[in-house]
Amino acid sequence: MIPVPGSVHAMNELSASSRITYRAVRVRPGVARRIRGLSDKTLAWLFITPTIVLLLAINIFPLLWTIYLSFTNYRANRANVPTIWLGADWYQSILTDPDIWAAMQVTAHFVIWTVVIETVLGFGLAYLIDKKFRGHGLWTTIILLPMMLSPAVVGNFWTFLYQPQIGLFNYVVAFFTGRAASSFQMLGDVTLSPWAIVIVDAWMWTPYVMLICLAGLRSIPDYIYEAAEVDRASKWRQFWSITLPMALPFIMLAVLFRAIENFKMFDMVNLLTGGGPGSTTEVASITLKRAAFESWRTGYSSAFAIILFVTVFGLANIYVKALNKVKSR
Amino acid sequence: MTSATAAHSVVEPTATTRRFAGSLVVLYALITMIPLAWIVLTAFKSPDDAISYPPKVMFKPSLEGFCNLFTTRSRQTPEFIRSLGPPQGLCDSIARDRNMVVAGPSNYVPRFINSLIIAFGSTVLAVALGTLSAYGFSRFRVPLKDDLLFFILSTRMMPPIAVAIPIYLMYRTIGLSDTRLGMILLYTSVNVSLAVWLLKGFIDEIPREYEEAAMIDGYTRFQAFVKVVLPQATTGIAATAIFCLIFAWNEYAFAVLLTSGNAQTAPPFIPIIIGEGGQDWPAVAAGTTLFLVPIVVFTVLLRKHLLRGITFGAVRK
Amino acid sequence: MSADATPSIARHSLADRVLRRGPLEAVATTIIAAGVVMLMQPFSLTLYSWSFATTLFGTVMFTFVSKVRE
Repeated sequence: MIPVPGSVHAMNELSASSRITYRAVRVRPGVARRIRGLSDKTLAWLFITPTIVLLLAINIFPLLWTIYLSFTNYRANRANVPTIWLGADWYQSILTDPDIWAAMQVTAHFVIWTVVIETVLGFGLAYLIDKKFRGHGLWTTIILLPMMLSPAVVGNFWTFLYQPQIGLFNYVVAFFTGRAASSFQMLGDVTLSPWAIVIVDAWMWTPYVMLICLAGLRSIPDYIYEAAEVDRASKWRQFWSITLPMALPFIMLAVLFRAIENFKMFDMVNLLTGGGPGSTTEVASITLKRAAFESWRTGYSSAFAIILFVTVFGLANIYVKALNKVKSR
Repeated sequence: MTSATAAHSVVEPTATTRRFAGSLVVLYALITMIPLAWIVLTAFKSPDDAISYPPKVMFKPSLEGFCNLFTTRSRQTPEFIRSLGPPQGLCDSIARDRNMVVAGPSNYVPRFINSLIIAFGSTVLAVALGTLSAYGFSRFRVPLKDDLLFFILSTRMMPPIAVAIPIYLMYRTIGLSDTRLGMILLYTSVNVSLAVWLLKGFIDEIPREYEEAAMIDGYTRFQAFVKVVLPQATTGIAATAIFCLIFAWNEYAFAVLLTSGNAQTAPPFIPIIIGEGGQDWPAVAAGTTLFLVPIVVFTVLLRKHLLRGITFGAVRK
Repeated sequence: MSADATPSIARHSLADRVLRRGPLEAVATTIIAAGVVMLMQPFSLTLYSWSFATTLFGTVMFTFVSKVRE
């Protein structure tokens, strides 16, 4: 408990009898605490320690182990082979490998396009919903549904929609373009498959960006617009000089989070394409999974995992900064 | 605005704007619902209807997808089938129309039960740990508080595959691989970070005066926590629990890499439901539909708290 | 900081004004962002090779900088 400044003074100046009255009215919780029960400090540690211990055991210890393994030649399927210390060899080979570099660019394509599409659509939707038409609550809930679903299950049922002969997606595209529905394969084509995963991710996560943008738009107080009206600023001007700048911290928050999530995207892509055809949709996590759980190059994949982890950790720092910025609004 | 009637009319959108905005949003909502609706429809199609071209919107509903989801069947000769007695139940008669007999239950129900056990187990643990820690962070002066909170959040941001490598080795060493307990612990550790951040937001909103009043009445700090703070935080705890449940229910990456049989949950199982001659789409759709129903219910329950949940409690409105 | 509000600001050295949390955090953020861009850009393999070191440096710097006085 933080003692209220001056209260000690006040107590010293009170006569003995009035001090009793004072305590009866506003006893400092510290006094009661010291008499019976645990001190706040003990209690604080009792409350926080279990969580920290769990995270140390299930997250930090494995992380340290990964760091150790990343410097060795360890292979999980050949545990008996003596482990050799390799230094930073794996890091060097990953960071000079054009194939991994290519995987990073596949990831970049996925991250950039999903974030752009989701931000534009999401902000647009939020802007429209903020007009508070009748029934906007119900429709908002309906729009939000896709982002609550399991990415794996979503990836799986979109493979059904993307089937060249029987899939609904191909049928709809064929219906509007006049091409034959079996003339293109969203998941089997080298040029189309990177877009197939972008479409599914945009379908699923646009609502996420929408919801955060909506919060941003609703945080703008009405009086600012009223003042702008008094100044005879056009609606167009108001949008660019009030709405967008004031919603920007929220948009940034959504963009950062989607970027982090999509940078490490695994489940949806794994079920849609599994990285194929060839390696055209092999985002970083899929490469990592192939190295770690198919080729069993544990040391190598540990080094790769650390590279991805540091990137995510760096972005997470920026994200938390953005989070605090929004929080203070 | 020319009318000077109401001051706030300046910022209120006109009726036309509203109708225009409304129709665009409704259009988006309808388009975005098509894939979901299609899966639910497919669940009730017969395999032939499911793969017909052009895709059928009108069809004769069939429960074959659900039957195929819950049973395994074996192909038999017509003579053998005729030699059997009358079909037992609906699924048996559907199977016999295709010259098959029901051989036994499929793995869907055990996988679904695994999903339930692991989701609820990890949620209870994560919320319990999260509530304690959130109260600790909210009310006490903890050294390095911000660093600890960031550390807790950053564990959730780790790429699942990167975590899965050492967890795989660790679980193999201590015998937790492919066990429900292992998965519960793993999901708890991922969920506890969300729980701490969300619940801290909720508990921050409960005035300290309530506990202080209770402590004047002779409660210890712990009693005040149990009897005053917890009842006040019920909504927050419930919302947090649903978020944790949804995460654990939906999780795929850890499940597919770390479980193979005993502890496998539904998400890695649904995609590998295979029928004769390729993927059995009605059965997959039926499995998906059943799997998604709880999520739809939860989303409706959670709609007021969704924003908080996806921003780790930072945006509250 | 109350010191900023007084005219004594003139007496602060350049280092004093730059070595504060705000600007340092901005620098660290920029370094992290640069590292991430280097990791995923399609133009230069050399930049890609140095991306990890850059991100790591930015992240470590961010962690220390967040301890610097406001």
